[in-house]
Amino acid sequence: MFKPQEVLDKEAFCTQVIACQETMFRTAKAILRQDQDAEDAVQEAICTAFASRDSLRDVQRFKPWILRILTNKCYDLCRKRRPTVDLDEVSDRLSSEGLDHDQRMTLWQAVLSLSDDLRVTVTLFYYEGLSVREIGQVLGISEAAVKTRLSRGRARLRLLLEEK
Amino acid sequence: MDQFDEMLRRRAKEEPFPLPEDYAGRVFQTCAALEETRPRKRSPYRWTAWAAAALALCIAVPNVSPAAAAALEDVPVLGAIVRVVTFRNYVYDDGFHSADVSVPELAGSQAAQVVNDQVQTWTDRLMEQFQQLCADMGESYGDLTVTNSVVTDSDTWFTLRVDAVETQASGYQFSRFYHIDKATDQVVTLKDLFREDADWSAVLTREVRRQMEERMAADSGASYFPEELTEIGPDQNFYFNESGELVLVFDEYTVVPGSMGMPEFAIPAEVYETLRK
Repeated sequence: MFKPQEVLDKEAFCTQVIACQETMFRTAKAILRQDQDAEDAVQEAICTAFASRDSLRDVQRFKPWILRILTNKCYDLCRKRRPTVDLDEVSDRLSSEGLDHDQRMTLWQAVLSLSDDLRVTVTLFYYEGLSVREIGQVLGISEAAVKTRLSRGRARLRLLLEEK
Repeated sequence: MDQFDEMLRRRAKEEPFPLPEDYAGRVFQTCAALEETRPRKRSPYRWTAWAAAALALCIAVPNVSPAAAAALEDVPVLGAIVRVVTFRNYVYDDGFHSADVSVPELAGSQAAQVVNDQVQTWTDRLMEQFQQLCADMGESYGDLTVTNSVVTDSDTWFTLRVDAVETQASGYQFSRFYHIDKATDQVVTLKDLFREDADWSAVLTREVRRQMEERMAADSGASYFPEELTEIGPDQNFYFNESGELVLVFDEYTVVPGSMGMPEFAIPAEVYETLRK
């Protein structure tokens, strides 16, 4: 009944955050596209996660736990800035499509050209190595939905990367 | 995993990823600015040891007089009269560990006595575990609070809810619901609502999972773990709300993160009505 649960102290928490900082930025960027927005979301997520660190049941699951908080922050930011989303998408699409013919498209450029729901799913799976189940928990969607998005994302990446 | 998949994983690992120049510094500054807070303030004084304290558990006075209780016995009604006639309060505080446990006592029927025994067994176990844990914890803080409330008291049905909150560095809330069918004077659990040949567990499990997915789709801030709900058991907590709907209640951390508290799911009657006794 009484769960013997260790709450991370500040030092241990920060160590975990530093270890995940690239993952956090990449995930936020996959959702928000803009560096500044991604950095803001990461900063907010760190503060929120620290304040609610007692909800972390198992320190081994720190990464999916903080990514869940981070994605919520990102979606909050998306809602706030909704009127500008289309322009951002156009800008990013242009940057990824404006490559010279002999210039190889990086995987990240290809990922950024995916649609909103595919970008973050593909990022968490291929870059961060999360399982389908963990991605479902981070994004709050079913495993079936994760698999569908991965399948669509993979097909789109195949087109983008193999045609270059 | 096919070759393309492997290539994607390899490129994700090997290709340099562009991080903003000042990003690492900003993360570091954010971490440095975090303010550490302790979950509870230390009490100015403490008692000596749990062993002595366990003996100091005190019992509060009954909140209903024997005369009033006796008077109620004379009221003629159909079925059993079930009511809470007293609370026994166990209170303890040694500066580091504190307990405030209110144990209700029911009267009026045989089923009420069965519930009393069940509640007593449960709260006794909680207190034993708490004392053991506090002995193990030494000078770390810990708290146990148990409260109760009557959820339903109709002509035919009585539901008592007992809530417990255990706090170490964080809180853990869980409950037990006790039901009495006044018409039969029987203690009722979830499985007793349904026919023996009915696959009620699978039906309810499916419905709760469906509602979890629905809530997550409607609110990106909502987080549920439908895959952790493998099966709704015969003693699953439930109650009937004011609309008469069956409401399933889950303890904290069981199917949701702690931040979501104790989730409840109202099950539409059409989902299970063909399975009822």
